[in-house]
Amino acid sequence: MKIGLMITCINDALYPKTAIAVVKVLERLGHSVYFPEEQSCCGQMHLNSGYRQEGIELAKRSIEIFSDFDYVVSPSASCVGTVREVYHNAAKATHDEQFEEIALQYSPKVYEFSEFLTDILEVEDVGASFPHKVAYHPTCHSLRVTKAGDRPTRLLRAVRNLQLLEIEKQDSCCGFGGVFALKNSDTSIAMGSDKFTSVKRSGAEVLCSLDNSCLTHIGGISEKMKSGIRVMHLAEILAHTGDQK
Amino acid sequence: MTSRTFDDPRPFQKQVIAALADSQLRANLSHATTTIRNKRAKVVGELSDWEALRDHGAYIKDLAQSTLPELIRLVQENVTKAGGVVHFARDKDEANQIAIALTKSYGAKSVVKIKSMATQEIELNKAFEEAGLEAYETDLAELIVQLGDDLPSHILVPAIHKNRSQIREIFLENMGKSGVPAPMGLTDEPKQLAAAARSHLRARFLESKVAISGGNFLVAETGSIVIVESEGNGRMCLTLPETLISVVGIDKIIPDWQSLEVFLQLLPRSSTGERMNPYTSIFTGVTDGDGPKNFHLILIDNGRSEALRDPVGREVLRCIRCSACLNVCPVYERAGGHAYGSTYPGPIGAVLVPQIRRGSIGELEKSLPYASSLCGACYEVCPVKIDIPKLLVELRSQSVDSARNAGSISGEKVLMESVYAAFKNPTLFRNSLEIARKGAALIGKRTINVAPPPLSAWTKGRSLPTPVGPSFRDWMKENHPENIVRGPKSKKRSSSSRSALGSLRAMAKFGFNLSKGIPNLAPQDSAKETKQTTGDQGRSTSVAGVTIDDFTYPINQIIGAGFQKPTAPLNSYNKAGVLSHDEVIELFIDRTIDYKATITRCSEAELPQTIDALIAKNSTTTVVISKDFDEALLGERARTISSLDDNLTYDTLDKINTVVTTTAVAVATSGTIILDGGKGQGRRAISLIVDHHIALVYEDQIVEVLPEAISRINHRAPQTWISGPSATSDIELERVEGVHGPRKLDVIVVERG
Repeated sequence: MKIGLMITCINDALYPKTAIAVVKVLERLGHSVYFPEEQSCCGQMHLNSGYRQEGIELAKRSIEIFSDFDYVVSPSASCVGTVREVYHNAAKATHDEQFEEIALQYSPKVYEFSEFLTDILEVEDVGASFPHKVAYHPTCHSLRVTKAGDRPTRLLRAVRNLQLLEIEKQDSCCGFGGVFALKNSDTSIAMGSDKFTSVKRSGAEVLCSLDNSCLTHIGGISEKMKSGIRVMHLAEILAHTGDQK
Repeated sequence: MTSRTFDDPRPFQKQVIAALADSQLRANLSHATTTIRNKRAKVVGELSDWEALRDHGAYIKDLAQSTLPELIRLVQENVTKAGGVVHFARDKDEANQIAIALTKSYGAKSVVKIKSMATQEIELNKAFEEAGLEAYETDLAELIVQLGDDLPSHILVPAIHKNRSQIREIFLENMGKSGVPAPMGLTDEPKQLAAAARSHLRARFLESKVAISGGNFLVAETGSIVIVESEGNGRMCLTLPETLISVVGIDKIIPDWQSLEVFLQLLPRSSTGERMNPYTSIFTGVTDGDGPKNFHLILIDNGRSEALRDPVGREVLRCIRCSACLNVCPVYERAGGHAYGSTYPGPIGAVLVPQIRRGSIGELEKSLPYASSLCGACYEVCPVKIDIPKLLVELRSQSVDSARNAGSISGEKVLMESVYAAFKNPTLFRNSLEIARKGAALIGKRTINVAPPPLSAWTKGRSLPTPVGPSFRDWMKENHPENIVRGPKSKKRSSSSRSALGSLRAMAKFGFNLSKGIPNLAPQDSAKETKQTTGDQGRSTSVAGVTIDDFTYPINQIIGAGFQKPTAPLNSYNKAGVLSHDEVIELFIDRTIDYKATITRCSEAELPQTIDALIAKNSTTTVVISKDFDEALLGERARTISSLDDNLTYDTLDKINTVVTTTAVAVATSGTIILDGGKGQGRRAISLIVDHHIALVYEDQIVEVLPEAISRINHRAPQTWISGPSATSDIELERVEGVHGPRKLDVIVVERG
């Protein structure tokens, strides 16, 4: 089983520790992870903001880079969702049958990190320990596109010393939305503030999700409010073991 | 009375500011949308075949689009056959001119209106005002908006942004200016507010000569119009005035009655969160002795054929205006409806408005496809599976393409192209990341709180993490060099050789106002096909509008140019029930009681005394029955105080306490009884104006699911589907029973034999 790691452009730029965590968890479970160094972006940013031709080019490039792997694992529901749905829509809209075909063949081997653990490796307890109060925020794309369901919370429940808390209206969007966060920043911040308020009300010390993009937004509000609530990708929590702080 | 219209051309992100600052508004919206969201989820959860119904709903609408010219022709043929006149209006001006000319031709100075999105869209009230005519809204929420000189902010509940105390003030202050004033001492109890609306509008209903409606569905097979509502104001308008004018978009046409069994399960559940709305009226042209003597149908295009032209975007024409997408939308919940700048707010508005206004795209229309975080909640609940996120992305792409074709340059374009160049070129990408890391190291901060544009849009409410520290790539080099897969050397480099620094310079030069709109949504072919118009048929010769051939000409062209026919869904919704006879009756009783009707069970022999007991309980002194009602069913008391409906005037009916009718069929799942004018049911007015309705339902008339009922009713007869007494949820989404239709409904379930 040859596993390719698609770390995503945002993790490449801002969250190396999420990518490191993915490698560590998979290694702990006995798997080698390969990193094609030419990778950059799956195309989501361009596809969703209307720069479709650029997005398609980036998508094709990404598919080619990962073509030799049995599985492609990515710590982002949003990017995996792009591969599964947006590629198809873009191909259809531009009548690009060749792209439609390669996207169709490519997408079944692309897995979001939590799916890969529960569905392919069939594990829930990855040997992690994390002595904190954690709330889980289902990001929109993990909820409605990849349909992660209870996979992430099953993984979190198996973490030693972790107390899992629920947040109110958890299914409601945090307001990130890519280009939305900038073009409609006022509405985006209003949504994010409501989300942050419910996180705070839950009593969590750490907010966890499957997408660092959303966490950048909610975490940015938390930071600005100096709340002390941290945001962490699921992989980082699962990478923690007893010997770490 | 003035008629405000949406006339703010500013983009969404500017219009939203006021709403975001209004904490009362946000509280009202949050409360209302949460309430209705939960109601919807409950009643949708009751149906095992919900997904199949959605698939069929989407399919039927796609099918209708692909055969639209034929369906329009069928509508014209069947409406004309049934004594109505069909007019064709390509745009709002033509539609308004027709409606005004018709109203004047009947000597009316004013009209009563049923809530209708089509007439909002064409700004009919304003056109009427300018023509010296009054158009009175009769739906409670529309009344609140009209009396308050406000704008609607929701498709279903236009006054959703007002709470009960605000509504009370509007009533007290303004009702007297245009009719019966609100009673002194009016409180903000929803029940009292609804009662004030009833007395304000009662005389107007009984006196009006002309009514104007929209239409939820238009069944081509018979030319029947379907109108769903709750309060009974719709029934009043459809039944009492001598002339009825219905303004209906061509997207509302569905092929047949079988389609209706799908949509009348989808719409109420998605819209008000009810299994069935209190009243559904269905009528075909005019009916002798029942309802209006003159009927005019104005079919409108108004941009719909432009939307049809777009193979991706045309999905939007499936919309049945339920507003489920608004109620789940996190952006709508904060922004409210007004920021969307049109009659159609929320996610559906963001994809519908730019498409039906392809000919006149301004800043507002350009901004709408970006007024979404693409969270997907709308698509999840859409009863006709409109993939709104997909359409938003499509419209954004068209917008970018068209700006590109026009050669316009924006900061955003430069930024996106520079980022693209970096993503395409591994060396440039790595170098850009390294430059960023070095920059962050210089600043030495893990996060920054203040940044220049365009990042100031981010930092005004959020801090921004910096890429401080070693990269993942370095970590891999150190820990797992063997697992780094190098790219094939032969891979061609990106042709773009712009350096990272050069990109930054270019970005600075254009100053990137990211929130600035992008020019011009692409109208594929905005050149309007104009053909010589010829005269109209019938009495419409004096009014504007065009012939059916001119009207369908652009649609024929679009379909002729290659139009993908939809494929039928493989799954099937429940066409027949699964419960036993007794269980079906039990279910019917439960569901009917749930919507606040009263149920009494008896045998046929006990029926006379049962009716007597119910009228005694209601302190009834006068009863009306239809001429063909079997008087043997009445008890002695009822018989002595009953009169036959020998074309009684509406005023007379208004003074009668109780009406007793039979029923055509009843549906258990939704607690609905259906009247189609058959023996013992009478004309529609008697079961509408009289305040207490006793309906007899025989056990063998009760079916489990709606599709079983459709085949049992007379499709061409005017119908009233009743689910509980009249009700409204227009005040804070709190349901109160009793508005314009009967305030009390007694259903007697009769065992035969």
